[in-house]
Amino acid sequence: MRLRRLDARYLPVAGTLVTLVALLAVGQARYSTPRQGFISMKLLSNLLIDNSFLLVLAVGMTFVILAGGIDLSVGAVVALVGLVVAQLFIAGWPAPVVLVVGVLVGTTCGAIIGVLVQFFDVQPFIASLAVLFLARGAATVIGTRSLPIDDPTFSALASWSLRFGEGRTSWRINASILIALGVLALAYLVLHHTRFGRTVYGLGAADRGNAVNLMGLRADRTRVWVYVISGTCAGVAGLLFALYTKSGYNLTGVGMELDAIAAVVIGGTLLTGGYGYVLGTGAGVLVYGLIQVLNSREGLESWWTRVAIGSVLLAFVILQRVIAVRRRPAVRPAEKQAPAPVPAA
Amino acid sequence: MSATSATPGGTVGWARRVAGHTLFWPTAALVVLLVACAVASPGFLDVTVRDGALVGQPIDLLRNAVTPLLLALGMCLVIATGGIDLSVGAVMAISLAVSLTYLDRAADPSAPATVATAVVLGLVLGVAVGAFNGALVTLLGVQPFIATMILMVAGRGIAMLITKGQITTVTSPPFKALGAGSVLGLPQAVVIGAVVFALVALVVRRSALGVLLEAIGVNRESARLSGVRARSTTWTVYVLAGVLAALAGIIYGAPTMAADANNIGLFFELNAIVVVVLGGTKLDGGRFYLSGLVVGALLLTTIERAVIIFQLPSTTTNLFKAAVLIALCIAASPRARGWLASRRTASSGPRRPEAASAAQPAAQPVSRPSSNVKEVGA
Repeated sequence: MRLRRLDARYLPVAGTLVTLVALLAVGQARYSTPRQGFISMKLLSNLLIDNSFLLVLAVGMTFVILAGGIDLSVGAVVALVGLVVAQLFIAGWPAPVVLVVGVLVGTTCGAIIGVLVQFFDVQPFIASLAVLFLARGAATVIGTRSLPIDDPTFSALASWSLRFGEGRTSWRINASILIALGVLALAYLVLHHTRFGRTVYGLGAADRGNAVNLMGLRADRTRVWVYVISGTCAGVAGLLFALYTKSGYNLTGVGMELDAIAAVVIGGTLLTGGYGYVLGTGAGVLVYGLIQVLNSREGLESWWTRVAIGSVLLAFVILQRVIAVRRRPAVRPAEKQAPAPVPAA
Repeated sequence: MSATSATPGGTVGWARRVAGHTLFWPTAALVVLLVACAVASPGFLDVTVRDGALVGQPIDLLRNAVTPLLLALGMCLVIATGGIDLSVGAVMAISLAVSLTYLDRAADPSAPATVATAVVLGLVLGVAVGAFNGALVTLLGVQPFIATMILMVAGRGIAMLITKGQITTVTSPPFKALGAGSVLGLPQAVVIGAVVFALVALVVRRSALGVLLEAIGVNRESARLSGVRARSTTWTVYVLAGVLAALAGIIYGAPTMAADANNIGLFFELNAIVVVVLGGTKLDGGRFYLSGLVVGALLLTTIERAVIIFQLPSTTTNLFKAAVLIALCIAASPRARGWLASRRTASSGPRRPEAASAAQPAAQPVSRPSSNVKEVGA
């Protein structure tokens, strides 16, 4: 009995690790050469470099989902931030100001969702969908062409990196990796070692935060904050994406919200809120990145990635439901008996 | 406008009056917008006959309103059950991709039987997609927005697979006529839209289905316990939304006969949701107004046109739509209703001077504890 309860709690994360190992095994089996294995520091550093923006997005999304909400706006916010940053550089603003303004654009978008959800009782997915279109619309107004970013400070930041190793086995750490891992570490501290973190879990656990309120924690404030955090993370991710592509474009990040949600769900956080580990989200991002790598190594077209991510998300959502259904009878035995007579009527 | 009188009122007189005007504001907004357009661009409201077909801006508006109307029709029923369907835009892309790919490979793309098969194939795909969404929502209990979001994003990938990443273009006059032809002087698309709307409205409102949907939307569990087949009914609604989205895709793409998997129906789920909300249906599920959809679809189309007529950049349209959606959501929230209530009691002649100030604190508690908003319909 005790073992099974342990199983249910760690099963999603176990699923993540199994998937991760399976993908690595496939890669190792198919793409290793005698001189170089598929699994290497180089692979890890490339995964992190290519997906640092996604890691930051997913960390923000973890807060929202843990609190029982959802944020569909993040992909659009990434596009908006990229364009704002590009436009401000063209206008000749100094780099530090531009970077701060970029992040604040994300924060504002998140704050709008938070206020809509908390003060006007709009369902999170509608509020964030509205902000998705607001951000996408604003980005379209700013420009429908790809704007290059060639500010010297920005370029220097984008190309800065620490190199390790030699030749084929060399790998590197760049600014994006540091920022993304920093955000992950900060989120880990906040979620697992602060009162705010416990409130986030409490919000998602049950009855729309009433229990949290009764315990004397501030449910209402926290609910706004998780969206502000998610928006800020989207702002940071927008900067990282701009660093990665050195440009801003209004149609970047279409569907990036699915990638972020998928990474969170694959990482073992329950969509209904209350259960999950932000470090699992990190593993989820690696799974996402590996799917992309395997896809391109197989020489498949890029849209297969979309389909694959959708399928993996589907698989994990089903896994979650199976776990939830198995857990439920113990909590509410009365529900099981009811269905039988009803369909006959 | 029949929905206006059928709107359930609250227990208090002012609530009944506010809720009683479900269609008043959308209709008023539509009229004002049309008049404004007519002033800004003389001849806006003229309709002439050319080659036996009616031509003019109003006819264009009707034609453009068909796609959002069809999408919103399915969306409205899904929302009535307390769900949402984010996949409609992608479904449009998939159905068009399937239909046009079939036509592309057919020996004679203009043969009526081939066109009919192509359309049926597209619609069958809509059924399949809807069944998939419905299965996730009803059998597995996945939250509707996640269940449908999988296809919202992956669906475009699937459409790309069908068209092999190309923009498939074909030439087939009968297929083109679905979107661009005219019947009895009216655009064929409008006729199709009107017939489908009438059929769905008839089935939903003349059978118990509408009541069952509302029952499920208000409280799934209690509906199930009182004998409503919540699961199969909800599933049916997702399938219907899928078919309607597929039809919308075919009608939308028929005039150009080009299946652009990346761009057909992009962000159209917003249109559908905005139309539903404009038409007076709350997003919390439970109550829905089909007649409102017609007004909502026309209003949305007129907004799109007005942006152009008032010489604003057309890129601002999504911004406007999002702002409208946010404004409507705020207006429908208990908190805003509370503010409105206190102002109404204050302005409509309070019996005692302190009544106005007393109304304010009284209105506050409504918005807090029962945040699921089910009390609105009660």
